[in-house]
Amino acid sequence: MIPVIQSAHITGIGLAVGSALMMTLRLLGWAGTDQSLLANQRRFGPWLTGALYLLLGSGALLIVAEPVRELVTFSFWLKMACVATMVVVFAAFQRSVRAHGERWEQVLARRPSVRLAAVLTFVLWGCIIILGRLIAYDHIWGHLSPATKA
Amino acid sequence: MDFTAFLKSLEDSGAAHAVRASLYYFPFLESIHVMALAVVFGTIVVVDLRALGLASRERPFTRLSHELLRLTWAAFAVSAATGALMFITNARVYAHNTSFRVKMVLLALAGLNMAAFHLTAGRSAPSWDRAPCAPRSGRITAATSICLWIAIIVAGRVIGFTTTGAEAKEAPPPTMNFDDFLSGAASAPAPGPHSTAPATK
Repeated sequence: MIPVIQSAHITGIGLAVGSALMMTLRLLGWAGTDQSLLANQRRFGPWLTGALYLLLGSGALLIVAEPVRELVTFSFWLKMACVATMVVVFAAFQRSVRAHGERWEQVLARRPSVRLAAVLTFVLWGCIIILGRLIAYDHIWGHLSPATKA
Repeated sequence: MDFTAFLKSLEDSGAAHAVRASLYYFPFLESIHVMALAVVFGTIVVVDLRALGLASRERPFTRLSHELLRLTWAAFAVSAATGALMFITNARVYAHNTSFRVKMVLLALAGLNMAAFHLTAGRSAPSWDRAPCAPRSGRITAATSICLWIAIIVAGRVIGFTTTGAEAKEAPPPTMNFDDFLSGAASAPAPGPHSTAPATK
């Protein structure tokens, strides 16, 4: 079963990264500019939320299946920190765009700081993927964890 | 040069040696492969759902697909390159692995399916660009595409479970006497094309 659950997890990653990419490109004005930022958010925001639930469900099953492999690794907890950061940024962005769509379109999406934050949030997905894969390889770098120095 | 010898030469290439020798290259390649496949799958699903009329119905299809397919191809090139680098580290094992073969067939089918789309609904796209969904042939290929790519992800993940730690089995040299083999006499280097092969993995 584990390969099947992992496949569902990777499919979820594909949907999440696809949705995140669409929203990031729209915010930067590089794709989807025939739609408003708010319309783009309404199109892809729920898909990212749905993909996150799929990831949460399949991820929880993977933890239950192999608790030690997951919970005892540095990579897993670093990944969870990245996921938590990404979820907070995404939730704040979603709330704000839905409340102030015009202001995002006219002002916020043009600010270099906001654009940089959008790129960094997307880069966070790269970190999440790398750390997710590294859970299987924790033995090659997990000793860097502060927990093992105690 | 037969196919096995070709695979063996891939395993003996400098790139394959470098990846095998490093603790970090293989997980790094796997991670890049997953990132690239996430973009490939994510962008393909967006285009397919538009063709199916399930999402982005109000956006012109040609504009949406034109914007995204460049990304899809760029990401596909990255996943093919990282996939090839992983393949050559243990080419004979992967080439004989059922999941790997299934995945390659599914990739070929996905390519044919895409060609079928371009020759039918893709060709007439300007006429249904602003319609809520593609004509029937386009909807069928779009649904097939989503199914094929999910199957490709599953087959790809199973490869890792069925090849890790596996080593290529070499046929005993034809001159070997089976009784000698059983009694251990064959542990002396036997004459044969593979007798000087370095151990892999």
